[in-house]
Amino acid sequence: MHLRTIEAVNFRNLAGSVEFSPGLNVIYGANAQGKSGWLEAVYLLATTKSFRTSHPREAIRHGEKEAILRGSVARGSLVKEIQLLIAETTKQTFLNAKREPMIRYLGNLDAIAFTAEDMQVVRGAPDARRKFLDRAIFGIQPSFLGTLSEYNRALKQKNALLREASETDDPLRFLDLIAPWNDQLITLGAEIHSTRTGYVDKLRERLSPGLFQHETIEIRYKSSLDGKGDLSDYAGLLRERMGLRLKNEIAIGYSLVGPHRDDLEILFDGYEIARFGSSGQQRSALLILDLAQLSVYHDVFEEHPIFLIDDLDAELDRTRIEILLNYLDGRAQTIVSTSKRSIADRYRDRAATFQVQSGQFLSANQRTNM
Amino acid sequence: MLDYAEPVTRLIDEFKRLPGIGHKSAQRLAFHILKTPQEETNRLVDAIREVKEKIVFCSVCNNLTDTDPCRYCASPSRDRSIICVVEEPYNLVAIEKTREYHGLYHVLHGALSPIRGIGPEELQIKNLIERLRPDESGEGEVREMILATNPNTEGEATANYLARLIKPLGVRVTRIAMGLPVGGDLEYADEVTMHKALTNRHDI
Ligand SMILES: [Zn+2]
Repeated sequence: MHLRTIEAVNFRNLAGSVEFSPGLNVIYGANAQGKSGWLEAVYLLATTKSFRTSHPREAIRHGEKEAILRGSVARGSLVKEIQLLIAETTKQTFLNAKREPMIRYLGNLDAIAFTAEDMQVVRGAPDARRKFLDRAIFGIQPSFLGTLSEYNRALKQKNALLREASETDDPLRFLDLIAPWNDQLITLGAEIHSTRTGYVDKLRERLSPGLFQHETIEIRYKSSLDGKGDLSDYAGLLRERMGLRLKNEIAIGYSLVGPHRDDLEILFDGYEIARFGSSGQQRSALLILDLAQLSVYHDVFEEHPIFLIDDLDAELDRTRIEILLNYLDGRAQTIVSTSKRSIADRYRDRAATFQVQSGQFLSANQRTNM
Repeated sequence: MLDYAEPVTRLIDEFKRLPGIGHKSAQRLAFHILKTPQEETNRLVDAIREVKEKIVFCSVCNNLTDTDPCRYCASPSRDRSIICVVEEPYNLVAIEKTREYHGLYHVLHGALSPIRGIGPEELQIKNLIERLRPDESGEGEVREMILATNPNTEGEATANYLARLIKPLGVRVTRIAMGLPVGGDLEYADEVTMHKALTNRHDI
């Protein structure tokens, strides 16, 4: 698949539209001119999520009621028009100018983004790694979005009870009230556990260690129930642990067991990347994970999602950029942003380059032999 | 901002109390009322007054009704051995539309939701348990209870809570089959879906 064109209306400071090449595209411009905004727009159009904000409504231009992103996506000779409308409280998705339910809209265009924020996956706390996994899974199994949001809703309900129970003199009367939520958390939690471990197994098979240096990389889904019993009967074990920890949960006022406390273990040359990796190793590890995600996607759909790299040279050195772009060449449509004109110049012979100023594309220098 | 004349502001404020009505919609409704002929607004006012005066909750099943007990509870032709439990009166209407269900109903008026402060006491659960109590002969009239709460997190938890409460009383407890999307609301289920959900109900 590739994104042929994108148009932005009332989205941040962006204006107008652009026609991309199916290969490498380099968007350059000074800071705050909108190059990252265009990358964000592409990612949002594909996934309906932003990599810059958890509230896409913040991207609506000041004083306007709604923002619209429109794109045309090509698969071979088949071209589809997709559109995302972002309003204060809703997002609406359209396919070929007709409303399309979100669950069917997703998948018409898919994107993987490498951004500064994503460095949290290899640097930060477990929740960044869980998010990385979940987002990757949504790409190949949109129904997982429903499972996860039901789980989070049930968890919120249970936590409200635990908080209340922790503040009363008679916490025992809460046991009957907590049980129905635990039942749902067990059913949904077991589904989340098996989906995530299944995905990590697929991802592991697609890791390309040694892509950047002579490193090794290992990943493992680290359940918070590891070492507590038989994980092959996850639902049974979760039920047992919830029973055992209920008193502690009531004392502390929030839930202590379940997949919302799991992690993705990433070992680089045998060491935990977030704690012991250099920032260069962390970048390599994240890229290897992103590229593995790209491959898993290809295994499932026999096509590649588009690959986005925000602020290319801020995060990656010249060698890594070269290796990465060579890897992507011929595989996935790639759109990168950079503040350096010199980088655009360096790739002018193999990429379509675009200059952005005040949110608009000034010039397009497209190669025709792609 | 300039305020409207006081009666207009008051009307807008009242509309804003209604569910799903924001300031803009409230304003639009108020100005619509101002432009509407007197007799038409009188009809609206009468309809609102009448519904408040004549409609009560059935003392048996909590359904909305203009007679107490309601026509389902009072009907001699309904099967009294089976009770279908729903969250809201409009869920009952959806099941009635299938024309396949001939038992009785029980309306909970909501679902469990701790984050909104809704526990078992806020729902019509006590009088549901009373309906299941055996009479002097020791024989209970109700043999089966169908839990038809919504197929979302809150509806599931409510069904689960009721099943734990009721099964020890010796009543068969079944749950409607979810051919419905996760997070769904029975309000949007059509007759065919609803009929399937009822016939494929399973024991819990
Ligand atoms: Zn009744």
